[in-house]
Amino acid sequence: MSKDTSRRHALRVFGGTVAGILSFAAAKTAKAVVQKGLVSTGAPKGYDPTKHKWLMALDIDRCIGCGFCVEACKEENNVPQGASYFRTWIERYVIKKAAPGSGNMRGECIVDSPNGGRNGFPPSLVPREDILKAFFVPKLCNLCEHSPCVQACPVGATFDAPDGVVLVDPNYCVGCGFCIQACPYGCRFMNPETRTAEKCSLCYHRITRDLKPACVEVCPTQARVFGDLKNCTPDDPIMQFITKNKVQTLKPHLGTEPRVAYAGMDKEVR
Amino acid sequence: MQRFKLPPQVVRLVILTVAIVASYAVARQIFVPKSFGQYGHYRGDALKEIASREPRYAGQKSCNECHSEVLVKVAKYEHKNIQCESCHGISKAHGNDPDHHDPIKLNDSLCLRCHTRDVARPLFLKQIELSKHYSGKGKCVECHIPHQPNEVP
Repeated sequence: MSKDTSRRHALRVFGGTVAGILSFAAAKTAKAVVQKGLVSTGAPKGYDPTKHKWLMALDIDRCIGCGFCVEACKEENNVPQGASYFRTWIERYVIKKAAPGSGNMRGECIVDSPNGGRNGFPPSLVPREDILKAFFVPKLCNLCEHSPCVQACPVGATFDAPDGVVLVDPNYCVGCGFCIQACPYGCRFMNPETRTAEKCSLCYHRITRDLKPACVEVCPTQARVFGDLKNCTPDDPIMQFITKNKVQTLKPHLGTEPRVAYAGMDKEVR
Repeated sequence: MQRFKLPPQVVRLVILTVAIVASYAVARQIFVPKSFGQYGHYRGDALKEIASREPRYAGQKSCNECHSEVLVKVAKYEHKNIQCESCHGISKAHGNDPDHHDPIKLNDSLCLRCHTRDVARPLFLKQIELSKHYSGKGKCVECHIPHQPNEVP
């Protein structure tokens, strides 16, 4: 083979590399332009997710089971009206007395949540004299530090935001439902309209605007306390709550490390 | 001197490999969103998109701006810690435009949502059994004033 062909070959390779680099740069610019056009952000300005760490605390002794929070959540977040679609809901725990002479501490535990507690609760069917104790437990996303739902998502559509909120990106969710199975607290559901997984976002559009989540806003007894662990003073309601109460989390044995704290929680709550 | 020459099949293999890797790199540039990896293994812009939705509940601060005289009155009574929108409903539209009045959802069933006797309800809350408490056909507000609940007849 002659020397000439080899030079031509070298030039061809060199030209191809340059063309490749140029097209690479062109593609990048084109993509940036397209993205700028498509994504319009009406997002609140000046919110830095790395400078916050949100937390919700619930006082079971103060929850009266009125269901205002459930209703407000549905209104605020356009949650479908069906009886199986909830971002937050209330459960009523009724613990029966142990059978006389059985030697047990407590009897059967009956949990009900008619329509998520949205319209309040009808009187319990358990006769009053059989009841050892009863209480309401508000439930919502537990804001896990190690979220099983995030680990289960195959497309990276759900994630732990730097401010501690676990969010679903509806544009990337493919609706496979793995996260719904993965959540040990049953806090997720499939939205029948959008066919994407949905969950409590801690009213992300509100907290980024310095408003409280809708459920906290309407709670008449302050059973729900909301705060920011990175920006709180010792007399902040959330710090007061953690200081004054003995708080615990749901299903601590799973190692999910929830950041939703419950005060006054009984053994039966799960 | 005999010049070293790569066998043509190796050259073709190298070109093919480079082409595949390059097309992968280009495809990745096009399809992976720009904000991917900004905070972690997800699209950073999703945070802004989720936050961009408009709130519907105005929040207590918004009520305080105009209705401070009502709040001063309510603050003396048991309902002092209840936010306006708990009973009066979504009021964002009213907050933005005071002439716009949202329907106020105050009615008897709303009172009873909290004050009906229930085994699970904590005892700090005043609770009634409607059949024993009142047998007439009137409404709660005929006797009770929601803003001054302690003034019971």
